[in-house]
Formats: sequence, C-alpha cells, structure tokens
Amino acid sequence: MKFMLMLYADDKAGAQIPQAEMAKVMETMSAYQAALEKAGAFVATSALAPSWEARTLRMEGGEIAGRDGTFVNQGGELKVHDGPYADTREQLGGYYIIDAPGMDEALQWAARCPAAQWGPIEVRPYHAGYAPN
Amino acid sequence: MRYMMLIHHDETALSQAEQKQLWADYAAFNDALAKAAGGETGVRLQPASAATTVRATGDRTDVIDGPYADTKEQFAGYFFVEAADLDEAIAWAKRCPSHRYGSIEIRPVHDPKSGW
Repeated sequence: MKFMLMLYADDKAGAQIPQAEMAKVMETMSAYQAALEKAGAFVATSALAPSWEARTLRMEGGEIAGRDGTFVNQGGELKVHDGPYADTREQLGGYYIIDAPGMDEALQWAARCPAAQWGPIEVRPYHAGYAPN
Repeated sequence: MRYMMLIHHDETALSQAEQKQLWADYAAFNDALAKAAGGETGVRLQPASAATTVRATGDRTDVIDGPYADTKEQFAGYFFVEAADLDEAIAWAKRCPSHRYGSIEIRPVHDPKSGW
C-alpha cells in the first residue's frame, strides 16, 4: 500500500540556515532514503521550492453547469493568487512516497524521518487505483 | 521547469457532481497529460479524514488523526508538468477538472543541483 509522507516545516526559518549546515542536514535525509530503499519501502521523493514561489488558481464567482458533455463555469473568473493554498505556520516543503503494509508501519517510517524533528509530517494513503507506480 | 500541481477541492462538492461526467473529464485530462507533459498521469489520495499527522517534540512523538491543515477545501491529489514557464503551468491548471471545485496550487520542484 502506497503512502505519501508530507513534510511540513517553517520555510522562512529554513532559508536562514547556512548552505554548509543545510548540506549536512540533507545528508541525514539521504541516509533516511537509503534505509527506505534497503527495506524495499522507497517509491519517490521531491523537495519543493519555498512556498512564496507558489501560485494558486481559483475560480471565483459564476456557476458550474453541464454543457456539451462537460462541465463549465459560467460567469466565473479564474484568478491567479501569489502564495500557497493554505497560509499555515509550517509549509509543505517536500515529500516521500513509501510502500508499507499499513498505516501503523507508515507512521513508524514517518517518525524515523529526520524531518519529524523540525516539523509535522502528514501521512496519507492513496486512493485505490490512483496510486503512483 | 518541473512543477508540482497540488489539487485542493471541496470533497463534499466533488461527491455531489455528476460522477460519470466528472471522471470522463478526468480521464481525458489524464490522457492529455500523459501525451504532452512528460508522460505522467495524476494521482489521487484518500480523503483528508484518512490522514494521520506525526509531530515530534523533543523525545516525544505525537500522532494526531487528520491532516496537517484544517481547510475549507482539502488536498486531494496532484500531478506534475514539465513547463517552459509559470504561464504554461497555469494553462495546465486551467485544464484540470478540479479547478471547478476548489483551487490548484502550482509549486516549482526544487532542483538539488542548485544547492540547498
């Protein structure tokens, strides 16, 4: 069963950490990835650019209506906003996708992740049939 | 540049939409993605209610039911696109059926070659 471990951290605080120190921190993340790989639990990982580089699209106003075999929003306008979807104390900074027998095992992997030391990790299973390979 | 497109939608509104049409739209969108934007289709997570959040404080690890952020719309899934710039990524977000039920966050993926 595939799970997404969503790593949240204060990205403004993270940006203040000197490069050399951050490189060492990333080595602990590489070691964690190696442990996942050794256990056959690793699927994928990515780090995201800071949340202030995000843009969020939102349809504003209008009504959703069926037309010509699809749905369209009539009268609404698609707006592009600066920043991430949610304005939160910590921000999504990256993720691991892992393969684990169940939520308990996935939580054990999350607790072992170095990122659990500096921010919360949300663990979510994938919808059946829509998980990554 | 590689962008992660994070879909946040209102789970209740989505469940009330005409399902056959919605998923036909999604199938068409995924086909277009697979052909044009690097061969990857989108993925879908289980509802936010199936999430668990781990937070470590010193030696203590708290395990909390539910997602990290309690929001009007919920993080539901994502897809990746290879796009020349933000405008091209925005065009892909506009094609995603979920933009009708919430919002789509566009985040550049960090390139490790550019350092930390």
